[in-house]
Amino acid sequence: MNVSFIVAGVVAILATVMVIVQRNAVHALLYLIVSLFALAVTMFLLGAPFVAALEVIVYAGAIMVLFVFVVMMTGAESSRVEPRAWIGPSILGIVLLAELSWVLLFAPAAAGRVVGQVKGVSSKELGIALLGPYLVGVEIAAFLLLAGLVGAYHLGRRHSPPSLPKEGA
Amino acid sequence: MSASGYLGLLPLAILAGSAILVLFGLAFARQRYETAFALSMAGLVAALASLFFAWTGAPQRFTALLVLDHFAYLSMALSIGATIVVEFMSFAYFRARREENGEFYFLLQLACLGCAVLASSSSFASFFLGLELLSTPLFTLIGYRREREAGLRSAFMYLILAGVSSAFLLFGMALVYLETGSLDITTAARAASGSASFTVLAGLALMTVGIGFKLAVAPFHVWTPDIYDAAPAPATAFIATASKGAMAILLVRFFAPAGIAGAGPFAWIFAAIAGISMFTGNILALREGNLKRLLAYSSIAHLGYILVAFVASGNQGSAAVSFYLVAYFVSNLAAFAAVAGLSTNEAEADSIEHYRGLAKGHPWAAAALTASLLSLAGLPLTAGFMGKFVIFEAGAGAFLWVLVVILAVNSTISIFYYLRVVSALYRPASEAGTGSMSPRPAMPALAAIALAAMAIAIIVIGAMPGSLMAFIREVARDIASNAAAAL
Repeated sequence: MNVSFIVAGVVAILATVMVIVQRNAVHALLYLIVSLFALAVTMFLLGAPFVAALEVIVYAGAIMVLFVFVVMMTGAESSRVEPRAWIGPSILGIVLLAELSWVLLFAPAAAGRVVGQVKGVSSKELGIALLGPYLVGVEIAAFLLLAGLVGAYHLGRRHSPPSLPKEGA
Repeated sequence: MSASGYLGLLPLAILAGSAILVLFGLAFARQRYETAFALSMAGLVAALASLFFAWTGAPQRFTALLVLDHFAYLSMALSIGATIVVEFMSFAYFRARREENGEFYFLLQLACLGCAVLASSSSFASFFLGLELLSTPLFTLIGYRREREAGLRSAFMYLILAGVSSAFLLFGMALVYLETGSLDITTAARAASGSASFTVLAGLALMTVGIGFKLAVAPFHVWTPDIYDAAPAPATAFIATASKGAMAILLVRFFAPAGIAGAGPFAWIFAAIAGISMFTGNILALREGNLKRLLAYSSIAHLGYILVAFVASGNQGSAAVSFYLVAYFVSNLAAFAAVAGLSTNEAEADSIEHYRGLAKGHPWAAAALTASLLSLAGLPLTAGFMGKFVIFEAGAGAFLWVLVVILAVNSTISIFYYLRVVSALYRPASEAGTGSMSPRPAMPALAAIALAAMAIAIIVIGAMPGSLMAFIREVARDIASNAAAAL
């Protein structure tokens, strides 16, 4: 499985480098999605199919779509997508797709099971671990997200004129 | 898990639960600002009180993530105490825009929870989660006054730098995990002692970068002055004390038991960081005209002093780190309480020129600020002096003569710039300086209480350090024996 791991890793690195060097925000986002897909493939090869699925659903799916929407809705000058911009991400995406199908069709025994000395983790095991020994960690992560949410709410709030003490209320 | 096990978790649970209560208060109460303040203060005091009940059950492991020993509780007491003082000084500070400022207390309390988790973490997972729970509210707290562009800019700077440093930290953790196959920090530290593999050493070096950023020690200190300057004074006080203190405690917990702080490559790395930090901080502070930036530079030097005790390692080193942290906390909190108390909604009291003639209008505030600055300089009869004394003792005990000499030289340099501020307090106000700021407003009551309490603490710890020192030594002995038991 080493070869497929390296291929996915190289795709991830290439896509991430392209994210950094792109001048156009939407073009950069396209590459970022590919980079997240490549990470998901890496996770899959490492025996964590559940994390791979989450990576696709949550990051590449929900969060990136939100990013694309925000960038396009703010109507920045650089948010127009030129057709040519699809070429790079498409090639990288096709490489990933080919790799994934190869792994699934020709080496199904290896997929999601064992790579080197890593043992595959099923979603059931993951759930038991998260709600068992790592429950405190899950709770802390929940507070972390809450902090981010409230912080974003405060910073994004509309300006109100300063109210001196004892005014209204 | 037994009942006493959950009792040990009580301080963390109260902090988290009352944070939720604060959120409910913000959502439903009419006087949002006052309600948030009161609920948050009640939660912090309750958490502080619960430490007494939790104390008897220590030490214990709570799952693989947390270790609840006396050392953790001591540092929780420090962070919670610091947060209480910060809330006192921020009540009047944020009052002018109180419709939208209630969230400050919620975020501050979550950051305090992050400190508590960080100080009691025993695994890389909880270490990272605690660190992020500390950093995420800080992004907002730094840019909290949205009408100030500099604050927002600094918040973004902190966001990006903290992200980069977290990346270093995670990559380091991954390398260590690759070699040891365990997320436990004591296991990781043990793997690095003796003949460690290159992977582990590289991993720990990368982690040192991440930790160094959070501590703002020399090669990673560049963000400090800008963020201290641009953040609101209470938020700065929190960053200077609780945030750095929790990280320093974690550093001791991580490195001290395995003895890699005192020997091998990491002793050299940390000794170099300590030396460079002391010189950098003090020399940059020499010509600084802004009190908040001056305190930022001086905090770089102070963390350098703490690292001297850290490199000295052993029980004495750990005790010296903890004791110095107490002294550093009270001195810095006093200084920032003065800054926050004298700031108005329009202007931050940050230039030293602004403090000229303070002794005339506010004799008590000037006296308290003097005590705090003298304590930071390390003059006798203050907490800072005892802190430096203990570090000297630990450094000399470990034969770190070069570092001890550097520490002595730097203490002398630092006296110069602290006294520059003190002399400004007692000089008559200049005509140019008074024009913009007079008449100086009265100090808000809660900020004055915070300032007075911290000033008294400085003097009490400085004059009678015996019992506190004995207590801290006992706690520090605890951490070494726990680690031995865990082996």
